[in-house]
Amino acid sequence: MNLKSELGDNELLRLMLAGDEQAFALLYRRRQGNVYRFALQMSGSKCIAEDVTQEVFLFLMREGQVFDPARGSLSSFLLGVARNHVLRRMRVDQMLTPIGDDDDAEAGLPGTEIDWRPLDDLARAETIELVRKAVLSLPAKYREVVVLCELQDVSYGEAAEVLGCAIGTVRSRLHRARGLLLSKLRPAEQVDEEASASLKSAGCFA
Amino acid sequence: MNSQRFDEETLNRNLALLAEETASLNAPPEVEQKLLEVFRARRVSAPTYGRYWLVAAAAMILIVIGVVALRSQTDKPKPEFARQTEQPPIKQQPIVEEPKVDQPQPAPQQFVAERPRRRSIRRAPRSEVANHMNREIATDFMPLGYLNPATLQDGGQIIRVEVPRSALVNFGLPVNPDRYHEKVKADVLFGVDGMAHAIRFVKNQ
Repeated sequence: MNLKSELGDNELLRLMLAGDEQAFALLYRRRQGNVYRFALQMSGSKCIAEDVTQEVFLFLMREGQVFDPARGSLSSFLLGVARNHVLRRMRVDQMLTPIGDDDDAEAGLPGTEIDWRPLDDLARAETIELVRKAVLSLPAKYREVVVLCELQDVSYGEAAEVLGCAIGTVRSRLHRARGLLLSKLRPAEQVDEEASASLKSAGCFA
Repeated sequence: MNSQRFDEETLNRNLALLAEETASLNAPPEVEQKLLEVFRARRVSAPTYGRYWLVAAAAMILIVIGVVALRSQTDKPKPEFARQTEQPPIKQQPIVEEPKVDQPQPAPQQFVAERPRRRSIRRAPRSEVANHMNREIATDFMPLGYLNPATLQDGGQIIRVEVPRSALVNFGLPVNPDRYHEKVKADVLFGVDGMAHAIRFVKNQ
């Protein structure tokens, strides 16, 4: 087990395709986090993230031989597969959106009610929630670069591999995405400022 | 400018907060369990795929052998045909030829029903007929009762028989009273319906 844990992704994949369960388990534990978080941050739904993670590794079991190390890392390959699944799932969900979908999306987030709103750090949790909503409201092509480059800390090169586009495209999309995020988050800050200003003025009149 | 830099910094900080918050998230253990089960199931079923391939390959080989055997059989009629021609001509051997009936007749191509029969039955007797024709004198075919030529379109058979010479009288042919009780050869034309449609009398030269 220890020896295998030192092996690279490509070697583990080779062993996995040869039927080595240990290699598959190691590979899964090593890469599932990235895939799951990417799907979660892209969709905002735990259910979709779980399904996508499962689908990605099932695909790796069935079609793992299509992975070409010359074209990029296994991590990028898996994120690329996850991206396709997420986008497909989101398209389907858009067609079948029930009334009150926004509430479901919020409810799908990790511990929205309990973990993210501890009483001792309410302001931080609220900020995170605002940013999360702003990211989720971005168009998919901007959202994916933000998720990859800002939240997953993936390099521009790897992001380009995942998205199947040029690095320059990743940069320009990220720039545009950040602009959109700022415009979405700014009003909230302004509202806060306005609220605090009104409180001050109310205090003056009091 | 300052406010923009402030915005950028705030955005970076907020995004970092979100990234930090989600950094520890992982797929639930049930997903791993399910995937491992699937992996084990696939590993178990993997050899059976190999077996399926073997079975498929064996089936293919059998099919090829079958096709080759069938082809070789269909090419064999020649020896069979030779055997038929070697047999001595028997009295009631079926002879298929174009009947010479007084009434309008169907085209010769329409007379024969199926191709395989044509190859095995028709060609061998043809030489016989030719030999007979050289040695025999035959009357024209005379209808036995009403003959509808359409009944001969599906084919028919000519069978050599011997009939009493007195039968010639029924067709208006002259009979030597001294040989009244002798027999004479005749070819009877049977249709596919099994009915005798015409007759001709044959005399050796």
